[in-house]
Amino acid sequence: MSTNKPLPTPTEISAPYWNGLKEGRLTIPHCKSCGHWIFFPRRHCDKCWSQDLEWNEVEGTGTLYTYTLTRVPTLPDFTDEMPQKMAVVELDEGVRINTTLIGVDEAEIEVGMRVKPVFDTVKPDGSALLRFTSAGKDFPSRIDSTPAALAAAADAQASAEPAAVKRQVRFDDEAAMRAMVSETYSAWSNQIVVDQALIDEFARLSGDDYWIHTDPERARKQSPFGGTIAHGALVQVLQSRLRIPLDFEVVGFNNMVNYGSDRLRFPAPVPAGSRIHARSRVKSVEKLPKGTQLTMEIVTHVVGSERPSVINDLVILYM
Amino acid sequence: MGLKGNAAIVGAAQYKPEKYATAPRMFHLEQVADLAGRALADAGLKASDIDGLVLHGPQFHEAQVFVPAMAAEYLGLSLNFAEVVDLGGCSSVAAVWRAAMAVEMGLCQAVLCVIPARMAPFGPDEDPSWMARAMRFGGHSTAFGAPEAEFDLPYGHMGQNTGYAMIAQRYAAKYGYDPVAMAKIAVDQRTNALANPQASFFGKPLSIDDVLASKMVAEPLRVLEIVMPVAGGAAVIIASKEVAARAKNRGACITGFGEHLYFKSPTYATEMTDTPIGPAAERAFAMAGIKRSDIHAAQIYDCYTITVLLTLEDAGFAPKGEGMRWVREHDLTYKGNFPMNTHGGQLSFGQSGTAGGMSQVIEAFHQISGRAGDRQLKRCDTVFVSGTGGVMSEQGALILQGA
Repeated sequence: MSTNKPLPTPTEISAPYWNGLKEGRLTIPHCKSCGHWIFFPRRHCDKCWSQDLEWNEVEGTGTLYTYTLTRVPTLPDFTDEMPQKMAVVELDEGVRINTTLIGVDEAEIEVGMRVKPVFDTVKPDGSALLRFTSAGKDFPSRIDSTPAALAAAADAQASAEPAAVKRQVRFDDEAAMRAMVSETYSAWSNQIVVDQALIDEFARLSGDDYWIHTDPERARKQSPFGGTIAHGALVQVLQSRLRIPLDFEVVGFNNMVNYGSDRLRFPAPVPAGSRIHARSRVKSVEKLPKGTQLTMEIVTHVVGSERPSVINDLVILYM
Repeated sequence: MGLKGNAAIVGAAQYKPEKYATAPRMFHLEQVADLAGRALADAGLKASDIDGLVLHGPQFHEAQVFVPAMAAEYLGLSLNFAEVVDLGGCSSVAAVWRAAMAVEMGLCQAVLCVIPARMAPFGPDEDPSWMARAMRFGGHSTAFGAPEAEFDLPYGHMGQNTGYAMIAQRYAAKYGYDPVAMAKIAVDQRTNALANPQASFFGKPLSIDDVLASKMVAEPLRVLEIVMPVAGGAAVIIASKEVAARAKNRGACITGFGEHLYFKSPTYATEMTDTPIGPAAERAFAMAGIKRSDIHAAQIYDCYTITVLLTLEDAGFAPKGEGMRWVREHDLTYKGNFPMNTHGGQLSFGQSGTAGGMSQVIEAFHQISGRAGDRQLKRCDTVFVSGTGGVMSEQGALILQGA
């Protein structure tokens, strides 16, 4: 998840709740006077106004009170969760909690379904959010959604899949080369995390140290994105670290020249902490006196975002 | 208990809704003075008649605190009563009944209720992106210790769209859902807007298919079921019988009101499909001593189509759970058997921030005073007006009756 997502700041009142989530336990205040369960945590019972409360651990099972699937993210930082499966869960103790569903398909979700808790670590210090999944699902009760863990998981999944056999296409076989031109994109590449450390390194290398990239504190207060964003140029060059699974391989040439780009656009920001991945398609093939020129459109997206962050029409000449 | 109907709306003014980018920028104090002047001219009264002031408190540009004194000084008014309301989209309705109460208690002879909603000019040191940042969390507090900052925002629960969508989704599970009936609310209101040159969508017809084909934002709500934010601003003047007698227009007497709120996030409502307008409307009708069937028009706060549906049900016009059938069976246009949001509603008029709710109050006044132009109802003596803030959080109702 993007580090620009709003995260909770525990207070003295709520600390036991958040500390519980870190340990994979759900604890909520319970009124010793009237037996009422209280959510969100307060110092008084919102039913009888007694201040004689105790923290009790609960199962966390409940029913889905209502939900919505978002087709427009509630904040750009949530694009990696699209569609957001926003939910209200009513615990068996009667209290309701704003949350999101995880590990369920859109079609499976219905009001009244039984749900169980998922403790989702979102920060390297172990801070966790409380999500829910279908009670009938074999889904882990504790997961790690820190960006590094998500990218590693995606990589592990990709390397578990057998590599596709690549068609070999001779660079001087004009018909075969032209046949590769397609409107359809390849499968996605591996994922990498564009974190603040990487952005800072690029700022130092390039000399572009504008605050919107390098000053998280100021960016949090003043940037329309609510935090720092990566340089467009950084995201562009990171294409070298994104291995796109192509189903072809151009062969038979003596030399291959990278001619640069016919089109380079940065349509959407990459907030610091986002995961990115890329895919590509062969946009055009042209026979030149010197050889065969292939234009490859490479698009890099924040994971989950429909809008690309970089569009790069890379021109390669095979001779 | 309640009002006797001795206070009436006698004058009104509102800016034509405009896109934020192209609307004139004016200081809020400047807008207050300008709107007040226009409302006074509409009423045929003079500034010295005004001795009460109700403003919307939050988001006032030139001050966060002491807003009424600053405005009184700027306007050159001597006041016996000054009030700010902070009830979001319910603020317009709330301002009107507070003003009526001050008049009926004998505190004031005429009260100005005004909500500026154009942007102010940027100062030399002001960061123009403040608005984008302020809008980022859509009315949700990010302050340390704010429950919503801690328990809503980290999950993406923010703004209004998803809250209303979740209410609609629960309604669907409890009572069923008919997207065509929901689209009809927007379409009937558009028919009304086609007879209102002041409306944002004047001259732009809309069909049910258009609504159903529009982009899904948060299921089941589509973009054409959601209001468009615009710049604007509005003012009304509420006066005593004595002052109303020398005003130009037929007054719209405030004979009943109600207000109800007990949560900010509908997650914590007793049942989120039973909205606070229920008790608010019940009180308003009881106070006015009239029945639902006595109403000639309903001006219902419409930030979303689902807001209208639930208000029709919970205010007692349609049976609970049968609102969609009821909407299919009624013609909600100014030509129809249940004239509703005859100015187009905010869905077709445009939502000028918290002044948006004033469009409903002013339309009721225009209908009662016989000045609604091409959309004027043949007979309009009694109008129901509702206001809604947040996510069905704070709701209010007015009964307005012709003097």
